[in-house]
Amino acid sequence: MQTQSPRPNNPSPEDARADVCRRDFVRQAAAAMSGVAIVVIMGESGAGASEEQAVGAASATRSSAYDPTKHRYIYLIDITKCIGCGACVRACEAENNVPPHYFRTWIERYMVSRTGADLTDSPNGGRDGFEPRVTGEDITKAFFVPKLCNHCSYSPCVQLCPVGASYRSPDGVILVDEKRCIGCGYCVQACPYGSRFLHPETHIASKCTLCYHRITKGLKPACVEACPVEARKFGDAEKVGDEVSELIATKAVGILKPELHTGANCYYVGLSQEVR
Amino acid sequence: MEHTKHLWRVLFILLLVAVAVVVGRHFVIPPSFGLQGFYRYDSLAEYAAKPVMHGGSASCAACHQDIAQQREQGKHQTVSCEVCHAPLALHAKEGAKTADMPLNRSVGLCAYCHQALKARPATMPQIDLREHLTKLEVITAKDDIPEGACVTCHDVHNPAMEQESPPEGNVSDANAVPATQ
Repeated sequence: MQTQSPRPNNPSPEDARADVCRRDFVRQAAAAMSGVAIVVIMGESGAGASEEQAVGAASATRSSAYDPTKHRYIYLIDITKCIGCGACVRACEAENNVPPHYFRTWIERYMVSRTGADLTDSPNGGRDGFEPRVTGEDITKAFFVPKLCNHCSYSPCVQLCPVGASYRSPDGVILVDEKRCIGCGYCVQACPYGSRFLHPETHIASKCTLCYHRITKGLKPACVEACPVEARKFGDAEKVGDEVSELIATKAVGILKPELHTGANCYYVGLSQEVR
Repeated sequence: MEHTKHLWRVLFILLLVAVAVVVGRHFVIPPSFGLQGFYRYDSLAEYAAKPVMHGGSASCAACHQDIAQQREQGKHQTVSCEVCHAPLALHAKEGAKTADMPLNRSVGLCAYCHQALKARPATMPQIDLREHLTKLEVITAKDDIPEGACVTCHDVHNPAMEQESPPEGNVSDANAVPATQ
């Protein structure tokens, strides 16, 4: 019995043509794609080189001969000197256009009583100064603690940024790439010092930049410039004979939350164990 | 070797993926990303290019030398001009005045530093304002503290008083703040 096979052993001329066509197509396509790939790769490497030149030019022009790899910034706060005037908070706000009721730096007032009551306050971040406060407690010691981003060497906020927006610059400043941040807020939660916030208008992470636009021009950060009692000091660990490096090397200093091993770069003179 | 075409098919698909990655990368990753680490290096230059607002006391002295000298001699020598006034950028640009510098003569401005607080270091000169003003008979215990109470007697640029008594006559006329415009 002869059955009519749907695919005869002897292919029709049309089928043969189709087979050849597929093989040819695959061959030609492979050749074409590898050609495209070679062109693209060549183009990539060429473009990469020109981009590097452009970046080099940009970093050379942004500040006359400023090289971020030649600096490592450090910060020192003397709690025994701070008068809690809030000049630093107001200066930071004016310099960096910080939205109201958000703070890149702020001042906390610690009042320690014999009963151990928690009397710490920071009304409006200390921006409007502090009022005398009647607590009814036996206050045994009281002091102001200015705070800001600690620009950690091993910072949690940089480690978990999913898009590479938070980073530590070669000169040791933790910055947020404003064009890259997606505003997920992970870094705000990760910072153990509460130094970050989501900007209420741009909805991206915002924080202390150590006034990067000032320090790259050889100026001090606005908060350091504003402090009337020199409680805030700004230094460069790469500079020979730097005052702040010398103070850190020779005086009793502490950092906030050393148990977290964040490698904080803001040092405190007169740090008391009540400070959190 | 009749099955080699399977190998070629796989190689072709891998090649397609490789090309897609190389081409896609070009569009997704911004230039300068990864030059120094897992971030966009150009971001540094963008931060560095932001405008400087505070010029520092030296920049004020360029035009207001008399007041700068007054300040240098007094106890407010460590207080930068812009702490009590406003940032330079709101007042002048490239050496030319662009707007009036706002003047704050309020009691609150002095109180930022000089209101007596327990947390302040004892070396800081501080007063209880009401007690200070009633003792000097500027106000009675019932009065409100007038807004310009401090600058009536103290020269803010060199604030130390030679004698602890209010000046003769009408105190409101003895405004010691010179016009800085």
